[in-house]
Amino acid sequence: MTSKITVAHLYPDVMSACGDRGNVAAVVRRCRWRNIDVTVTELGMGDKVVPDQVDLIVIGGGGESRQRQIAGDLYKVKGCAIRDAVAAGTAAFAVGGGFELFGRFCQPERGAELRGVELFDSWTICRAAATGEAGGTPHGGATPHGGTTPHGGTARGGTAHGPTTTDSAIRDLVVRWEGGLLVGFENSPGQTYLGAGVTSLGRVVSGRGNNGDGSEGVRLGNAVGTNMRGPCLPANPALADFLISAALSRRYGTVDLAPLADDLELAARGAAMNRTALSARGRGPKWVLGGGAIAPRPRFGMRGRAGVRG
Amino acid sequence: MWSGKAVVSTCAALARLAVAAGKRSSTQRDARRPEVRGGSVLVTGTSGKGTTCRMLAEVMRAAGLNPVVPATARGRVGVARDLVERAWTRRVPRDARSIGLVAFEPAALRDYLRREPHPAAVVITNILGGLADGEPHGAAVTARLEKALRSLPASTTLILNADDPHVAAIAADVPNPRLYFGISDIVHSRVRADRTAAALPCCPRCGHPLSYACTYYAHLGHWACGGCGLGRPEPDVGLTKVGRAGPSSSRLQVVATSVSTILDVPLPGMYNAYNVLAALTAATHLGLPAWSLRAIEGFSTGPTQMEPIRVAGHDVQLAVATNAIAYTEVLRAVLGDAEPKRMVLGLNTGHRAQQDISWIWGVDFESLAGLVPGAVITGDRAADLAVRLKYAGWFGDGRDQRQTVGARIEPDPVRAVQAGIQGTPAGEPLWVVSTPAALAEIRRWLRSHDRVPHPETRRRTAPFRADARKRGPQPTRPRAAGPQPSGPSRSAPQAVAGYMAARRSRRAHGARRRWTTQRDWTAQRDWTGWTSRMRRGQSGGSR
Repeated sequence: MTSKITVAHLYPDVMSACGDRGNVAAVVRRCRWRNIDVTVTELGMGDKVVPDQVDLIVIGGGGESRQRQIAGDLYKVKGCAIRDAVAAGTAAFAVGGGFELFGRFCQPERGAELRGVELFDSWTICRAAATGEAGGTPHGGATPHGGTTPHGGTARGGTAHGPTTTDSAIRDLVVRWEGGLLVGFENSPGQTYLGAGVTSLGRVVSGRGNNGDGSEGVRLGNAVGTNMRGPCLPANPALADFLISAALSRRYGTVDLAPLADDLELAARGAAMNRTALSARGRGPKWVLGGGAIAPRPRFGMRGRAGVRG
Repeated sequence: MWSGKAVVSTCAALARLAVAAGKRSSTQRDARRPEVRGGSVLVTGTSGKGTTCRMLAEVMRAAGLNPVVPATARGRVGVARDLVERAWTRRVPRDARSIGLVAFEPAALRDYLRREPHPAAVVITNILGGLADGEPHGAAVTARLEKALRSLPASTTLILNADDPHVAAIAADVPNPRLYFGISDIVHSRVRADRTAAALPCCPRCGHPLSYACTYYAHLGHWACGGCGLGRPEPDVGLTKVGRAGPSSSRLQVVATSVSTILDVPLPGMYNAYNVLAALTAATHLGLPAWSLRAIEGFSTGPTQMEPIRVAGHDVQLAVATNAIAYTEVLRAVLGDAEPKRMVLGLNTGHRAQQDISWIWGVDFESLAGLVPGAVITGDRAADLAVRLKYAGWFGDGRDQRQTVGARIEPDPVRAVQAGIQGTPAGEPLWVVSTPAALAEIRRWLRSHDRVPHPETRRRTAPFRADARKRGPQPTRPRAAGPQPSGPSRSAPQAVAGYMAARRSRRAHGARRRWTTQRDWTAQRDWTGWTSRMRRGQSGGSR
């Protein structure tokens, strides 16, 4: 029997700022290499999500202007269906700007805040907006839409240490996830805070993650949100396979995926880890960049070398 | 007293000078500026401005003009740019035949207009913006350009790309005369929107999404607005037929009001067809004779702009590509005839702002799968590029354990070119398409073996060589007779790890002393063994 999944790609024209088509391409290719039929449905403005017909929802990243363009449509037209679908076991993968809009709200650097889908109990404040708030507490201790505050000790980040002083994160991001490592590239001016009791996707090994408190992304059932922007799934075949098996399990129960040869992906991941001054030999509990027992290695790259034009 | 008199007379002289300066008319003051005689031509746009300038300079020279082209007049910030401009304007000879010709970034137009307030023409090639997040959008670039264009004198002609809606409708309220160029050959167009176009632009007048009858690349094509009826203007200089004259040249049929000609231009690709058009439009506007337009056929490409270099019986063509659109268009230009070609593909990160390489997922590799047998992948992000190609279907079935069948990952650019030449059958060309850093390394290697003709460098180094001769015989540098085999093929992780180890050791051993140790650098390269093999006379080469 040939298994089959349907992927809903939300706003492919707008939310594809950082090569986000790569994520869908990874899911499609990895399914086809295993003889799994894949149908990709591109959902733009005004298109509805039908929870019963979708096995995997993918949304990419985008900056403030792109977020503003889709936020209303995402909340009004698709929001309810996305929440229902994930509650029914549909897998979801949200990256960067899409991840921010899958939370409760997103406060961009300028202008009014954007209401999110409220799939994840998380919210994002951009730095310029965050520093305007007293003590870095968004909304002065009130939750975005009424209710009790998730801040003041229960929430991660925020008031405990004041606003983090890291600048806009543009760097490689390494995350420990289910015993393995995920590698990505973060490029986010905003800081994401998680509500009490929310499971993060993983722990940050190198990079900033959600807001510098060591957590990265959100995991809710089969739904995953992450700051690893752009083509995250091709670089992390384990995460891609997790999403595929989650999408399959909704229809076919527990599925064992056939292994694929991932030597290229692992080579790319190894190179990324070398860039972040890590190596597989250094694996241990004290991976603290620059401050731990492991001194950062010299960076690997073309910076400081001759030949770079300009 | 004598000194008192001197003070008084000096004061009087200063006062007279001050009055004279105040009385001097504005035209007199303008005349004191080092403005280029015969006007000047300013070329701007996101891409293609340098090539356009080179082509136009060739035509001008053929017509008997003396184009004064600054060596590095790319838009720089702060003092450096100012110095470049000042040096340029001082260098311009004051004769009737000299004409200034500058290419610069769109954002720098305002500054250039301060130096050159009366240009003969401003050429705008294209405005490709918003390729990645954080980059200025096309609309933002257009707004800055419009602001600068409003300060132009009414005599300056705007030479605009009719196929780019950002450019064609720029500063519609400015009364300056306009000339348009565009492509009319619909055979080479695409009906669907190009996947490299992040999002098709909206109407510059009413904001309604534009509709396209066809596109040539990115968002350039035959556009129209369904909301307000604004449409692509009819080009004054049009390209009615685009064809290929050879593997790296194109045959273009150009039609203007006064002239119609067929040109064989030594550059392939649609984006170069636009550059030719821009140069021809500017040339016809300047009144250059029709016969001088043919000089464009003999123009030589800039460094790494499809630059041909002869190595060991192979034509190695270096082509630089810095973003998704450029990478796609270079590959399409090379592989446009659907003939398989030998290639080295490179990907490097640059300085801090260029660490993000996610744009490679916007490159249209999918439609070119199968056209590059035995591709060699290079650069410090070679592994990422290999993953991209794998998911584009270049390496066949993912179930296959030997995924890179035929392809090879070689992060060191020089070794990659050696491997590429080795794998290229005799007489066939090898294409090297890469981001700038890897290409610069390859070019430096080729130059260190005198493979790259560079008249300016030779002129500069000539006195140094004369000195060397006086000092007596020097140890001769080994010269490459041909490319050498570069060892057995390695797996991707091995290659990446080996390259990084070599790079670390090179850095530790002073590779940073970049200008003084170029020859040492070459010697260090012998870890591949090709120099010594060459010395022994084992000049390998093609299989």
